[in-house]
Amino acid sequence: MKLYCLSGHPTLPCNVLKFKSTTIMLDCGLDTTSVLNFLPLPLVHSPRLSKLPGWISKDGTINLEKVLDARELLDLSTIDVILISNYHCMMALPYITEHTGFTGTVYATEPTLQIGRLLMEEVVNFMERVPKAQSATCWKNKEIQRMLPGPLKDAVDVWTWKRCYSMQEVNSALSKVQLVGYSQKVELFGAVQVSPLSSGYSLGSSNWIIQSHHEKVSYVSGSSLLTTHPQPMDQSSLKNSDVLILTGLTQMPTANPDGMLGEFCSNLAMTIRAGGNVLVPCYSSGVIYDLLECLYQFIESASLGTTPFYFISPVANSSLEFSQIFAEWLCHNKQTKVYLPEPPFPHAELIQTNKLKHYPSIHGDFSSEFRQPCVVFTGHPSLRFGDVVHFMELWGKSSLNTIIFTEPDFSYLDALAPYQPLAMKCVYCPIDTRLNFHQVSKLLKEVQPLHVVCPEQYTQPPLTQSHRSDLMLELQPPPMPYRRCSVLNLPFRRRYERVYILPELANSLVPSEIKPGVSVATVSAVVHSKDNKHTLQSVPKPPPVAPSKKRKRVMDEPPVVLAPKPLLSGAVPLEAFLATLQKHGITEVKVEETADGHILHLQAEDTLIQLEEDGTHIVCDNNEPLRTTLRDLVLRFLQKL
Amino acid sequence: MDRECVSLLPRVCEVLAASGSSLPDDTSLEKLLDWFTGLTKAGTSLLESCPCLLEFISTVVHNTALDPSILSFTLRLTGFVAVTEVAFKVLQESSVLDLVFNLQHWQEAGLWEDPCIRIGWIQGLRTMMQHPKALSFFVQADFLQPLLQLQTDKSLFVASAANQMLAHVLLSCQSVSSVGSNDVDEEGEDVGRSGGSIADLEYSAVTVETNQDYAAVVTAISECLKKSLVPRENTQLHQSLQILKLLALLLAQTRPPLWEKLLQMVADSVDELLVAGYSQLILPLMDVILAAYSSCDVNRRAPDQRVSRLLSFMLNIRKPADLIQAAAAFLRRGLHDLVHTAQSARVLLLPLDIITGLNLLTTTADEQRFLMMEQLKNKTSCISLICVCLTNTPQMTLMAADCLPCPPVLIVTAVLSLLKLCSGDSSSPSSSSSGCREVSRNVIGSSKVQKCALDALTALSGSPGVEVKLAEVFTLLVQCLDNPDSDPTVLQKSFQALVQWMSVCSDLSSITDQHRQDLLQVVRKRSCDIRWEVRDSTVEFLGRLAGVRVIQTTAEEASDASVAVLGGCCFTTPLLRAALQDTESYVRASAISALAQTLAASWQQGAALTQEQTEIVNQLLEVLSWDTEGFARRAVVRYFIAWLSSMSSHSCVQSPASSSLLMPSVRSVLSRGSADLDWEVKVHTLELAELLLDEAFSGQRGYTKGNPTQTHPYAVIPNTLHTRTHNEEDVVGVLNSLVQWGVVSALLSGLVDCDRPVALRACRLLITLREVVCPLSLGALDATAAMATVARVTCELPGCGWAREIRKMLVMKAKDANAEGGVSGGEVVNCDDCGEAGQEAASVGGQTPCVSVCEVLRSLDLDERLDVLTRSSDHVHNSPLSLLQDILTASSARSQPDTQQEVIADCY
Repeated sequence: MKLYCLSGHPTLPCNVLKFKSTTIMLDCGLDTTSVLNFLPLPLVHSPRLSKLPGWISKDGTINLEKVLDARELLDLSTIDVILISNYHCMMALPYITEHTGFTGTVYATEPTLQIGRLLMEEVVNFMERVPKAQSATCWKNKEIQRMLPGPLKDAVDVWTWKRCYSMQEVNSALSKVQLVGYSQKVELFGAVQVSPLSSGYSLGSSNWIIQSHHEKVSYVSGSSLLTTHPQPMDQSSLKNSDVLILTGLTQMPTANPDGMLGEFCSNLAMTIRAGGNVLVPCYSSGVIYDLLECLYQFIESASLGTTPFYFISPVANSSLEFSQIFAEWLCHNKQTKVYLPEPPFPHAELIQTNKLKHYPSIHGDFSSEFRQPCVVFTGHPSLRFGDVVHFMELWGKSSLNTIIFTEPDFSYLDALAPYQPLAMKCVYCPIDTRLNFHQVSKLLKEVQPLHVVCPEQYTQPPLTQSHRSDLMLELQPPPMPYRRCSVLNLPFRRRYERVYILPELANSLVPSEIKPGVSVATVSAVVHSKDNKHTLQSVPKPPPVAPSKKRKRVMDEPPVVLAPKPLLSGAVPLEAFLATLQKHGITEVKVEETADGHILHLQAEDTLIQLEEDGTHIVCDNNEPLRTTLRDLVLRFLQKL
Repeated sequence: MDRECVSLLPRVCEVLAASGSSLPDDTSLEKLLDWFTGLTKAGTSLLESCPCLLEFISTVVHNTALDPSILSFTLRLTGFVAVTEVAFKVLQESSVLDLVFNLQHWQEAGLWEDPCIRIGWIQGLRTMMQHPKALSFFVQADFLQPLLQLQTDKSLFVASAANQMLAHVLLSCQSVSSVGSNDVDEEGEDVGRSGGSIADLEYSAVTVETNQDYAAVVTAISECLKKSLVPRENTQLHQSLQILKLLALLLAQTRPPLWEKLLQMVADSVDELLVAGYSQLILPLMDVILAAYSSCDVNRRAPDQRVSRLLSFMLNIRKPADLIQAAAAFLRRGLHDLVHTAQSARVLLLPLDIITGLNLLTTTADEQRFLMMEQLKNKTSCISLICVCLTNTPQMTLMAADCLPCPPVLIVTAVLSLLKLCSGDSSSPSSSSSGCREVSRNVIGSSKVQKCALDALTALSGSPGVEVKLAEVFTLLVQCLDNPDSDPTVLQKSFQALVQWMSVCSDLSSITDQHRQDLLQVVRKRSCDIRWEVRDSTVEFLGRLAGVRVIQTTAEEASDASVAVLGGCCFTTPLLRAALQDTESYVRASAISALAQTLAASWQQGAALTQEQTEIVNQLLEVLSWDTEGFARRAVVRYFIAWLSSMSSHSCVQSPASSSLLMPSVRSVLSRGSADLDWEVKVHTLELAELLLDEAFSGQRGYTKGNPTQTHPYAVIPNTLHTRTHNEEDVVGVLNSLVQWGVVSALLSGLVDCDRPVALRACRLLITLREVVCPLSLGALDATAAMATVARVTCELPGCGWAREIRKMLVMKAKDANAEGGVSGGEVVNCDDCGEAGQEAASVGGQTPCVSVCEVLRSLDLDERLDVLTRSSDHVHNSPLSLLQDILTASSARSQPDTQQEVIADCY
């Protein structure tokens, strides 16, 4: 069993597991931090951005970094299936399924597919609505790259950066997705069975169990034990794994989500009270639901009742509505609301009372409804594209306004860099509900996997806080770390295989009981293997020998299937055996104890009998009758099959 | 004793002796015993005043079929009866006593199994044991052995009572023996000490023989102590624990010959116990040693060598958890022992030293350090050890400098770096060794440690020489306040610590502008926090800060800390006004009191009112009328109390501008407050009325500030009070203004309030008012003549609510007076429309009738009313008479089953 690690990013994993002749890709996250090297894409021409010294806005299309040019490590066309754990971990899907010869199937839950589609659509939309007349192509050449300005000059591996995919590619990639439900079992070529389990992180997010009859591998990615909106995490099904692959722990181990949520609310209230606007750059699904829910409760006590909340995204409407219809994927509390019937999320009420309004973009209706001071939720969190760019230009100059970062994926200082100098206040409250180290060590204590595999980042404290030895995994035995491009041999051997016996063959068996409750029979058969299923079939009768005119050699005849020699089992009890010998007139026996059994020296006959655990030897020279007698005596004590 | 009670008692005794199960409820017997206790304490001889008790006891004691609770009651009652020697003799002669306390009697009846019989037996004996006769009885009946057995009884109450009893026996023996040995000095001391409880020892003829008996008792008890102190096996730990408790009691109370003897007897066993090192016994053991030690301390004797040695041993035990416990117990006693105090301090500072890596202790035994380190690596014990240390830290810094291994400043530094560790951002030197890192990991994010550390930090602010740390403390506390993960209590304690440090270190020159900015930012943020507890503590902080006086270097003059660090009202007032809108009533209430505190300075300086203050007043009056929660409304009334009292105490600088706003608002507060539904609001309103009375009549003859009945008879009355002569015109003016402000209506409405505290307070104030305006002492005839002018002052009695009540009372009074044919009868109520018919007419006519204030005050029977109100509402219900009647009623109800249901309802 081998694990190919294609991504070094612990929360955007991409691993390939080769297990029992199947090749399974686990997630395909897309690390988009490379966009921070580029200028923001303004919706309208920005004279400031176009005149920045040392910055030439030449290559308009944002490049996204793909997980890895995996072809070096393995051929993507050999991948049989891709298992997706949540919508954040599928953003690279078109790069893998399109133009690589991929012919397999992608498995994901329905919310993962739908919301993943929304997120992809959003990115494509953000890119395509500001098309560039020209695009540079040669800059990735090492020689030319060296002459580029600042951050680009020093960027590494630029050759892995790809252009953003198109909507057509997205559709084609998503058409390969097959939907699954929690705990549904999917057979892969009869060799293994995979099934998703609730992971508690986001709508439809899942961990995966990959098991054969005798082995079990768990893949834990992006799980949460907090009670937010999704169904709670299924922990018990992870028990008794041989290997547990652990990825997607919190990126902010020191930032407790509750504290951050409180921080978010108080900063928001503070700004609004002082007459400023609040900008929240965020993804259009996920934490935003919780933020809205928290604000819903907070609005009253902070007397923010009249402040408008705007949610601007090409997929805002779908995102808010999808969240309300995936009732079966929600936590118990929200599920029960559906039967009342009430919308599970309170943002429905915010929309009804006109406190929350959503628009596809800043164009159109929004401009006529826009009232300040207000709170705006919009993408993209990298501040490089999307409507957020516009609000940065609009509000950046006033110190009354505040930008509150809630997504942990981008460094907020880097995100803000092109907008400097900035008068706007800036607050960083990353909300990451994924498991922290404390929770994960408790979880592992509970489920007790034999081996744990995890990104190497989890095996040491964070670089910036080397004294925090509480922010790492400490396990016994220590976890196996992986890094980008490593190939791990997972440390367990396959020892058993399940084999089926056809009924007629089974009928012919004659079991004999060797000890109470254990019966044994010998079988002669032909193993037939197909689709990873092994079946024992009766030995075909030899076809009647066609009369041949040319008789070659007698030996050419098909070998007669001899009845197999009976197998012996049991042990020879020493005392009883000696008594039997005596009855047969052998009296002078010297018994010697050895490490494995006994040696009987028949002194008169000058014969040795070695009784050992797994064999009996009679050493008797030139006295065949005696040897035969002795052999028969030994056989009396043994069972024949 | 009440005659009526005495007459009822025989029947009650009969009922009890017949069957105990018909009691009104299960507390009746306890209440009866309480009554007897009271009587005994008052010096009444029970047997003389209630001879029926003897018969009762002798009847009950023979009837073992009775309810055990009655039997237990009887045992205890016997103790009370036999408390005097005379009664004791009577009981003994009638041979009741022997049977009552006869163990065999109870055991044979199978009643000894019941814990209430056992405890009755012990307590009865204990009560009786006040004179040598009882003691001899105890010795001769050989009750010592059973008592020793009861010490480990499975009922905790019995065991504890047995322990107390043993101590009592031993102490009694001690006194008696010392009398016997004719040690005059000792005896004199003795009688004084025991407070007369064994006062009748002097005339007791103690023979040499009994003296020997006592010696035998002492020996037997100390033998038992010695023998059972060390547990043979783990199951006997309980016994050792009991013995240790007894020993602690004894060593704290006994005096030299016996003290010496006890110590002599148990010293070896204690040694053995120490070596065995049972963790559960550490604290009781320490109690014993400290009891012995402090008894030397109290009696100004040099500490006993053995005790000192034991103490040193305790402060050197190997188990770190036990060691810390012992050291903390020693420090809590506050004994004058430099050596051991210093040692305890070192022990308690060791965990802090290890975890912070600061060299608090220059030298420590390596072994002790190692053991402590190992203990600290375990998370639970680490947190509890650190918390014990932190709790004791402030006390340490108050010790003499030569006891402390390091200056207090260093301890403050250690606490600060511990707090940094807790919040996870530490670059303390401890990170050097892996062991320390392992230890410090245990406290990261522990809010329990944070809370203890903040408490310690608050208390440390007063230690000498720590002012230099102010800036550092300030920075750290602001960080704590800014930390998103701090829990509400941590935030509250941080705020408190900040106020405390600023109030102690009044020189804020080390606080930079950056510090101020950070604090402003964090206060602003926390006032918008999502948790109301946090908003509440923030608002409270703003108020407290305004009350702290500090010196600023720039201006060199005192100002309040709120001005010094937050820029004063221009920052705080908008925040507080926003908090007035908070959804949580606690926050609104805190905001109101904080506003009062921040504005106090400007009131006192008599500064002109700002537009903002006018708005605030309007907002507050609105809160008083509309707020649904009592807290906020109470706070509003307190706000005006604060304002009014600060104005009146600085009346010389009273600015007309502010009083032009103040007095109308006070008027509406009085009218709205006295009509409030919450009794506390009403009481506060009356306090406001009292302030106005004080102000109006200060210096007036006959006016005593506050409660007239509480004035001390020997209190010196300042001369100034007499200087102002009684001027009737003045009084009229003042009374008129009181009526106009609504003080009189507020008091009258309070008087008829259904909440007793309100009515009581109003009644007292009305009496005060009456004594100034129209004292009853003048007599009716004189009064009418002397107060012709004052009587003209009238107040309105509207036709509803409280006024109707007052009116009714006046009419009743008038009728009474008419019936008696009194002289002033017709004039009590100055117009006829106070009758029902007139009242109707008046309300139809739209006019509210007026009555003379003086007449109302004189006619309301205020003193009688005060008398009624002062008694608690259940005084009738709780009297012994009622108790006895209840018992009788219950039993008669039992004999007539039909009415039983009713009685149960009655009991409820």
